[in-house]
Amino acid sequence: MDRAEIEELVYRSCLLLDDRDFKGYLDLCDDEFRYTITAHSPEIRKDLIWLDHDKKGMQTLLEQLPRHNSDHSPLTRHATVYKIDVDQTKNEANVVSALQVFKTDLDGGATALFAVGKYLDTVKLDDGRPKLARRVVKLDTRMLGIGFHIPF
Amino acid sequence: MAKSAAQWIEPPRLPPSHFVDSRIYTDQVLFEEERQKIFNKTWYIACHESELADAYDFRTFQHPGGTPLVIVRGDDMKVRSFYNICPHRGNSLVYDPAGNAKRITCIFHAWSFDTKGNCVDITREEQGYQNRFCKADAGLREVRTEVGFGGFVWVNIDDNCEPLKEFIGPAMSELEPYIGMPLEVFHYHRAVVDTNFKLWHDTNSEFYHDYMHYFNRVTGMMQPGYFDRKCVGYPNGHVLVGSMEIKYDAYEGSKARGVGWPGLAPGGWILIDLFPGMTYNLRTSVLRMDSMVPLGPNKVVIEYRGVGLKSDTPEQRAQRVFDHNTIWGPFGRNLHEDLLGVHGQGRAMRPGSDSRWVLHGREENATIHDEIGMRHYYAEWGRRMGRKAFDPYSENRVSAAA
Repeated sequence: MDRAEIEELVYRSCLLLDDRDFKGYLDLCDDEFRYTITAHSPEIRKDLIWLDHDKKGMQTLLEQLPRHNSDHSPLTRHATVYKIDVDQTKNEANVVSALQVFKTDLDGGATALFAVGKYLDTVKLDDGRPKLARRVVKLDTRMLGIGFHIPF
Repeated sequence: MAKSAAQWIEPPRLPPSHFVDSRIYTDQVLFEEERQKIFNKTWYIACHESELADAYDFRTFQHPGGTPLVIVRGDDMKVRSFYNICPHRGNSLVYDPAGNAKRITCIFHAWSFDTKGNCVDITREEQGYQNRFCKADAGLREVRTEVGFGGFVWVNIDDNCEPLKEFIGPAMSELEPYIGMPLEVFHYHRAVVDTNFKLWHDTNSEFYHDYMHYFNRVTGMMQPGYFDRKCVGYPNGHVLVGSMEIKYDAYEGSKARGVGWPGLAPGGWILIDLFPGMTYNLRTSVLRMDSMVPLGPNKVVIEYRGVGLKSDTPEQRAQRVFDHNTIWGPFGRNLHEDLLGVHGQGRAMRPGSDSRWVLHGREENATIHDEIGMRHYYAEWGRRMGRKAFDPYSENRVSAAA
């Protein structure tokens, strides 16, 4: 499979989440998709798991959003694909991307860096179209202010 | 009916204990006074003993009174606390938030200290001081420290303070049966919010704001027993919110908690707010601890810890982590909503705003939506500050109107 198709999968996932097109985002994901947000705390010297869902769990989480009070500031995800390692035997690729997330205030439009980290993706290459099978968002940023309801 | 300017500043027609002047949330002078009269006089949670599991482990803590501390477990396994300030030139002794070191050595001029606070090396001591000053003169400032109430490490800047047990009194009696076993912190994160620290404590104290939480409405407010939860005030400003059975499966995608807490009824939830800014929140499978470090009248760091049992199997721990973060992690359903609320209060009541009164007037037989918890807190605040929360500058406008 062409490297550009894998890169485009990562970039489309950012654009669809930016647009809050959650159905479109989940369509990029394999049925066995699992999504996890992790960080490491030097304070307690432990790895943290801040979110961990399968595809159904992600779908429920996203569908429940209108019932919750949330910060409605738009996020802009900026990913750069650094590395793609294709495992021919498994017909999948391990992809490492740098991630920056910016938040823009609704009132006034000021934009600030919200978080940095990496996407660690496993991409299935079956069926002629790459699909996200696993996404680990490994955050360097641990101070997220008042938090956010929509995953990165 | 909307109000005119004059009507807006009129005191509410409630007893003076049932509202506060909102300037107590914004005034720099009052804030500095709070640091001296409250935070530097009361016991405060610095960290948990599991963060200092081994001899020579250390952990830094920005004390809410303003002084940076370092907590150290000695080779005798005793936990001690010191100012994280070198007595030589005032440098930070420890830079990393946690670690392990047999000696604390200042990077600036390599003065070195042991885990009991003794200075054990002054570089080129004789050449520089000719016996005019020596290691015995250069000990660290030790701070009163006790470990208790679930293994938390408590500190008090005041050398003459009462023992921790006296400060807590009977306030933890409902929770103590459940936190006697070894516990372990599995989650830590901070939020910096432009709001006053008391507003976060208020949010932890009043459950009337469950209207803001869809999760709490369907799993709690709409379930039997919710409106029976009692609030009880204890000496020194502490408040208990009694338990009920939370119906976790009432929220789509959620289910009854598979991992409980030893002795706690299934779905149980006990919450205790401790003056001046800590909350024990044991909710079915996880103990959450909030502690605040105010940075100014309108800025606070809130430290969040998730705590499980030290004896947890990997599967039990994974479930506690999941349960915790579903509602309380940085992407959790409830925490973001709570923080939105106090962020909005900070924005509306910022200095220069013509906000005037904040109401604590609900009376519902000391049950869950009664605002008795906040009234109890501000009575203690007033006692320690020597000011009335409803009239902090003794303008006597309230008593004149009442």
